[in-house]
Amino acid sequence: MLAFKNIKKSFGPKQVLNDVSFDVKAGECFFIIGASGVGKSVLIKHLVGLLACDSGEIWLDGEEISRFDEQQMGPVRKKCAMVFQHATLFDSMTCAENVALPLRKHKDMNAKDALAEAKKRLAVVHMQAFADRYPPELGDGMRKRVAIARALTVDPTYVLFDEPTTSLDPVSARRVDTLIRELCDKLGVTSIVVSHDLSSIFSIADRIVMLYKGKVLKIGTPAEFKATDNGIIQQFINGRAEGPMDL
Amino acid sequence: MSATTETHPDPSPPDASEGVEAELGFVGSIGAAFLDIAVAARELYSVFVRTLYYVFRGKRVKGAVLHQMNEIGVKSVAFICITMGFIGMILVYQSGLQAKRVVPDFTMLGATYLELLVRDFAASIGALMLATRVGAGIAAEIGSMVVTEQVDALRMSAADPIDYLVVPRFLASLVMTLALIVIAGTVAFCSGAATAYVFFDVRPDIFFNMQLVDVGDFLTGFTKCMAYGAAIPIVSSWCGLSTFGGSEGVGWATTRAVVNSSLAIIILNFFISAAGFLIFPG
Repeated sequence: MLAFKNIKKSFGPKQVLNDVSFDVKAGECFFIIGASGVGKSVLIKHLVGLLACDSGEIWLDGEEISRFDEQQMGPVRKKCAMVFQHATLFDSMTCAENVALPLRKHKDMNAKDALAEAKKRLAVVHMQAFADRYPPELGDGMRKRVAIARALTVDPTYVLFDEPTTSLDPVSARRVDTLIRELCDKLGVTSIVVSHDLSSIFSIADRIVMLYKGKVLKIGTPAEFKATDNGIIQQFINGRAEGPMDL
Repeated sequence: MSATTETHPDPSPPDASEGVEAELGFVGSIGAAFLDIAVAARELYSVFVRTLYYVFRGKRVKGAVLHQMNEIGVKSVAFICITMGFIGMILVYQSGLQAKRVVPDFTMLGATYLELLVRDFAASIGALMLATRVGAGIAAEIGSMVVTEQVDALRMSAADPIDYLVVPRFLASLVMTLALIVIAGTVAFCSGAATAYVFFDVRPDIFFNMQLVDVGDFLTGFTKCMAYGAAIPIVSSWCGLSTFGGSEGVGWATTRAVVNSSLAIIILNFFISAAGFLIFPG
C-alpha cells in the first residue's frame, strides 16, 4: 500500500505540486496523467528519494519514507524499481552488464553470477539475443525492454514507469503495455505509470489520477474518466486542442 | 540530510533565482551570494569526504581506474608537452633578456629556472592546463549523465555516483597528474635549455644546474602535484553532479568546472607555497 499525503514541491518560485494526496492499492496498475510540466515525473521521483518534497508525507507499506536519507533509501529502491523515460542504460556497458548492475549492488552477487542471472532476465523481455550488444546499437523499443529487465532484476513490489511508451512505435508501445499488465496480473507487482498515451491509459489502467495545476483533479477508473462531465478531463482524454484546459 | 540533497540538488531554474534576488535588494543580494557560496562549499566538502570514504570502502568496477588513467593521463600527454614546451621557451627567453640587462651573466639562469620549475611552475602551470582539458571532460561527461537521468538510474541500482563515477577519476588523476607534471617539467626544462643555448649561448651542461634545488623544493612540488591531482576531479565532478537543465546546463557545468578548478589550483598554490616557504625557508 502506497500513499502520498499533502505533497508540496516547489522549484524556486514555481510551485509544481500543491497538496497532492492519493493512495495506490497493492497489485493495481495505476496511471498518473496530466499535461506536460504538471509534475507527474517529479511526483514519482519523490517515492524513491530522487527528489525531496518541501512538505507532506509518503507512506510505503506502513512506513513514512519522505525524510529518509540516502542509506535508508536503499531498501526502498529495492522494493520500488523505476523505468526512466529515456531508458537511461549505461552506454559503456553491454545490455547484460546493465541488467547485472542492480544484482551486484542490491543483491551483492558476484560478477559472474550476476551476468548469468542478467541473461535470464533479458530472456523474459525477449532480449537474450542482444545481451552482449551495447545500448547505442539498439532501437528505442529494445532499450526500453532492457531497462524494464534491469528494473525487474531486484524483484520489486512496485515498479514506477515514467512515460514508458514515449518515442516508441505503436507495436512496441503495445508490447510494453502488455508487459506492464502482465506484471500486475501474473506477478502481483504494483505498477505506477506516468503517461500521456491514451491507448495505454484506457487499455491497461485499473485506476487513474489526473493532476492539473499541481493538484489532484480526479481519481477514478477509466470508465469513470470517460463518463465524467468535467470539461478539462474531457478535453485531455479526447486530445482536443480547444477547451477549458489552461496550459 | 535527505536522500536528494547529497548528489542531486533540485533543478531550480537560473532565472528564478535572479527574480528572487531582484526582490531582496543590494544587501540581500550580497547575503544571497554568500549563502550560495556557503552551500557550494558544503556540497564540495561532502563530495570530497565521500570520495575519500569510497576510496577505502568502495567496490570499484574492474578496469575503471585504468580506463580513467588513459582518458585523463595518456590522452593529455601531447597537449601538456606542447603547451609546457612553449611556456618553457618563453620563460627562459624572458628571464634571459632581464638577466642580460641587470647582470650579463647567465651561469645561474638554469639553476634559478630549475628551482622555479620544481617548486612551482611545472606543477601549477601544468595543472592549469590539465584543468582545462580534464576538468571540462569530467564535468561534461557527468553532467550529461545527470541530465539524461543516468545518475538517477545509478542511484536506483544502489550504485553511489561518488563511488562509481568520482572515485575512479580521483585515483586516476592523483597518479596521472604527478606523472604528467614530471613529464611536463622535463619538457619545459629541455625547451628552456634549448632556448638558452640558441639565444644566450648557455651550454646545456651549464644550464643543468641543481645547485639551488633542495629537498624542500621537491617536497613542495610533490605536495602541489598531489593537491592539484585531487582538486581537479573533485571540483569538476561536483560541477558535473550539480548540473541542471539540458545541454545548456551541461555547457554551464563545463565552464564552471574549468573556472573553479583553476581557482582551486591558484588558491592551493598560494597556501602550499606559503607553507613551503615557512617550513623550508632556504
